[in-house]
Amino acid sequence: MSHHLEGSRNSCALHGALQLFEAIEGVIPVIHSTSGCGVQHYLGVTRLSGGNDPFSSPPVSSSNIAEKHVVFGGGSRLREQLKNTVKVVQGDLYAIVTGCSTEMVGDDIPAMAREGREQDWPVVYANTPGFSGDVHHGYHLAVKALIEQLPGIWKRTGEFQTRMVNVWGIIPNQDPFWRGNLQELGRLLEGIGLVPNLLLGSEQGIAAWKQIPEAALNLVLSHWGKLPAGLLEQLYGTPSIILEGVPVGSAAVPLLRRLTEQLKLDQIRSEEFITREESLLNHQFARLADSYYRAGFQREFVLVGESAQVAGIGEFLGKSFGLLPRMLIITDNPPDNVQEALADRLSSIVSGYDTEVIFSEDRAEITDIMRTSDVQLILASSLEREVAVELDVPFLALSFPLDDRIVLDRGYAGYRGATALLEDIGSTILAFSRAWHVC
Amino acid sequence: MSKKIGKHIAIYGKGGIGKSTTTSNISAALAESGYRVIQIGCDPKSDSTTILRGGNDLPTVLDTLREQSKVRIEDISAVGFGGVLCIEAGGPVPGVGCAGRGINAAVELLQELKIFEEFKPDFVLYDVLGDVVCGGFAVPIRDGLADRAFVVTSSDFMAIFAANNLFKAVNKYALSGGARLGGVIANSILAAYAPALIDDFAAKTGTQVIGYVPRSLVVAQSELYGKTVIESVPQSEQAQVYRKLAKYIDENEDSVIPKPLNSPELKKWAREWGDRIFEVETGVVHEMASI
Repeated sequence: MSHHLEGSRNSCALHGALQLFEAIEGVIPVIHSTSGCGVQHYLGVTRLSGGNDPFSSPPVSSSNIAEKHVVFGGGSRLREQLKNTVKVVQGDLYAIVTGCSTEMVGDDIPAMAREGREQDWPVVYANTPGFSGDVHHGYHLAVKALIEQLPGIWKRTGEFQTRMVNVWGIIPNQDPFWRGNLQELGRLLEGIGLVPNLLLGSEQGIAAWKQIPEAALNLVLSHWGKLPAGLLEQLYGTPSIILEGVPVGSAAVPLLRRLTEQLKLDQIRSEEFITREESLLNHQFARLADSYYRAGFQREFVLVGESAQVAGIGEFLGKSFGLLPRMLIITDNPPDNVQEALADRLSSIVSGYDTEVIFSEDRAEITDIMRTSDVQLILASSLEREVAVELDVPFLALSFPLDDRIVLDRGYAGYRGATALLEDIGSTILAFSRAWHVC
Repeated sequence: MSKKIGKHIAIYGKGGIGKSTTTSNISAALAESGYRVIQIGCDPKSDSTTILRGGNDLPTVLDTLREQSKVRIEDISAVGFGGVLCIEAGGPVPGVGCAGRGINAAVELLQELKIFEEFKPDFVLYDVLGDVVCGGFAVPIRDGLADRAFVVTSSDFMAIFAANNLFKAVNKYALSGGARLGGVIANSILAAYAPALIDDFAAKTGTQVIGYVPRSLVVAQSELYGKTVIESVPQSEQAQVYRKLAKYIDENEDSVIPKPLNSPELKKWAREWGDRIFEVETGVVHEMASI
């Protein structure tokens, strides 16, 4: 049944593809659409993801088509734009992404990319009209474009690497903590002797994407990472480990053990690493104990975010930190079978305590649910700040859109992420209690 | 929109059905009667007004718009037979761009140029690509641009199908200020059953046939000379047929909101006519039928 949607946090496919290309060093996206698409990407997406936005304006090349390009076709405008972009912006790869109007008109984008490649420019393309799907679909379209088209530009030269793992399923900016999360996951993989191929973020450029076929395994951290993993299995026979969520704290242990076993790593080294990380986390819990009991950290909370975040953080807070997950609200609209599996898994995180698992991307619905929930702590996006003030409960923004925090290296994945989460939630509750006492 | 100057008529029909020939001859007949007429070809083929202009070239609105930022009326129009002002909207090369949006852009430009205020026409005839394949080709019948639409059809099923599609578009837009249907022009009438078939379709869809144009060698000959029948053979019977059509459009303001057939109804109707034509051709005589 159709219904109206308020304050959607899922932008369009074009933006999803742009997020991905912009997160790879040396990739220069070229938008083939009207001028608003690039601007909206900046205003509606990158600027609302923890200060990850580029300085002052979106430095994205765009064909900025006008009516005559709709009527007569915009192919020649794109050709010109690509040529000019190659002239003025030095990059390792140029990635054409398209908007609704140019796809409605049917501009021949593959031909334009081929023309570019014939001139020895490294060019890939992804047909990403906003009407084809949301930001997650755009992530799919962009990774698919790279996996399928890069081998046509650069012949595969590297050897199979028995310790290399590709990491999939974290969508840049849609997860505002993507950089920190990837870094921590990389650290964990390195800790047991693996070579992480993180693909996105600092020092992750085209070289990382070229070596994708050489990896021994794909590590999938959300439903959205299954598509690239499936493609790589078809193309190169690379197996995958699939998790429906980024592991936080001790949830990393089964993953690290499984990796050790599947890739025949040094078990002693892995166990030593796990022990070290576990004891450090336990040490943090112990240090926190006084504040925990004094300020009454154990509260019923609601958590709103993408499935990758909600599953990992929700389980960590419930299982390890003693908080009570009243409601977990998942906003990325995964397919029905994934929703069923997640609801099944997350509805009984704490033994004897029922957790409601809700799937909604509608701000109005989410707000209404919260009003009737009697929660004592809200962990959500900046869209939920208002209802938190109304309900007068401590509030921490940690999912997209995020407009009141600066996120540089911070992440909530793995052990360091768990510590960061303890700090942030603890500080939020303390600050709230202090403000209340002063008043 | 400013006050409409002149009567605005849109003429639709399946491609190749004789829509431009019919429109041009109606324009010529109206001009002959002393009216000021503008004919606007809304088809990327841009050959609507050819036989009004002796086959001479005329730059299209969209080509001109592409090439120069400032467009003047004289750049995109030519005066043809009887003073008819001829304009071709034009469009992209086949397989590229969006012709539907092109029609939209061309019509907007004509309004910006105040062509109707300048020329002060009594009649504006829009000759539109037949199959209403997308919103762009419905522009002349949307938003009150044209008052009435006429559809040209032969007795071929695909022409009837296109006419029925136009009825759907008229039906959709008429209630919100779009054009209403003036009637059906039966064209290329050759087979004996053709008038009855088109009459029946018109009756089923709640409209009427306003004229029957027989298939004629005179039309083909005139076209080869780049002329309308009105210009080349003014005394012919065919010219009279077009004059009658023009007279009807001039004097009669009747219009309806048609009731298009849905897909199963149209198929059923076509099958019934198929059977009837087969029976006529093969001489089947039904019991009790009068001989």
